Amino acid sequence: MEYNKVCLMYRNKDCTIDGIRSALGLAVENMYAYGCVLDEPEMEKFTELQAESLEMLRDMEGDVFATKASNCELNDLTPITIEEIGEKLRDMTHIIPYGIIKA
Amino acid sequence: MKILNVYRSEPDNTTKKLVEIVGRDREVDSFDLHVDSPDYDALVDKIFVADQTICWW
Amino acid sequence: MSKSLGIFVTNPDQFKHVLGITKAATAKGSSVKVFFTWDATLNAKKETDFPELCKLADVSLCADSYKNMGYDVEDIPEGLEASKMGTQAQHGIIIEDFDCYLSL
Repeated sequence: MEYNKVCLMYRNKDCTIDGIRSALGLAVENMYAYGCVLDEPEMEKFTELQAESLEMLRDMEGDVFATKASNCELNDLTPITIEEIGEKLRDMTHIIPYGIIKA
Repeated sequence: MKILNVYRSEPDNTTKKLVEIVGRDREVDSFDLHVDSPDYDALVDKIFVADQTICWW
Repeated sequence: MSKSLGIFVTNPDQFKHVLGITKAATAKGSSVKVFFTWDATLNAKKETDFPELCKLADVSLCADSYKNMGYDVEDIPEGLEASKMGTQAQHGIIIEDFDCYLSL
């Protein structure tokens, strides 16, 4: 059986948390689910519940990446460059530019 | 692999970079949604023949 | 037979496209499912054509998001059945069971 591989990308801090929740929802449905915080949003520190969501996503072989070092450090996200996420996208069955762009 | 890129706004440099990498060595089509009156009928036809549709910001 | 189409709506400013694409697809005989999440759930209360969309497609929304936008989940938007106040599993259905996928 071929599993779906989905990547959601976020460029607006107001929808990043919900976007990660969406990724977790897909992981629960037996898909490989990833999130990526692209360059613009300066994230806020995860709550305990949000940090647990990230852990659950990783337990299900998903991950959340970020292109900005400060976001990676703040919320334990996996560092990635634009070029690297682009290469990962080539392997996805579904690519979802999430929400709207707003710094 | 046929990719359809749909643009909700004029693509910026980040979007352009990702589009370029994802579309490398693949058949690529595009559709602009950020016009006054998009031809939805034509868009649906494009979606139906694409293997993957990506609707960029 | 026309392909089926699933639409995942994450942007509150795209409703006219959601409706336009749904009309075009259903006119071709396509079965369409639409799922609204996060602030796109505002469309259910603020767009006057939302009930029309519900007549054309299988429409559901994320109840948690709707609550986060300040609405009571018992306040079912016009055109929607209570059972369509769903979870992110609805997005999973769109990905797994529909021929074509679009996010807006």
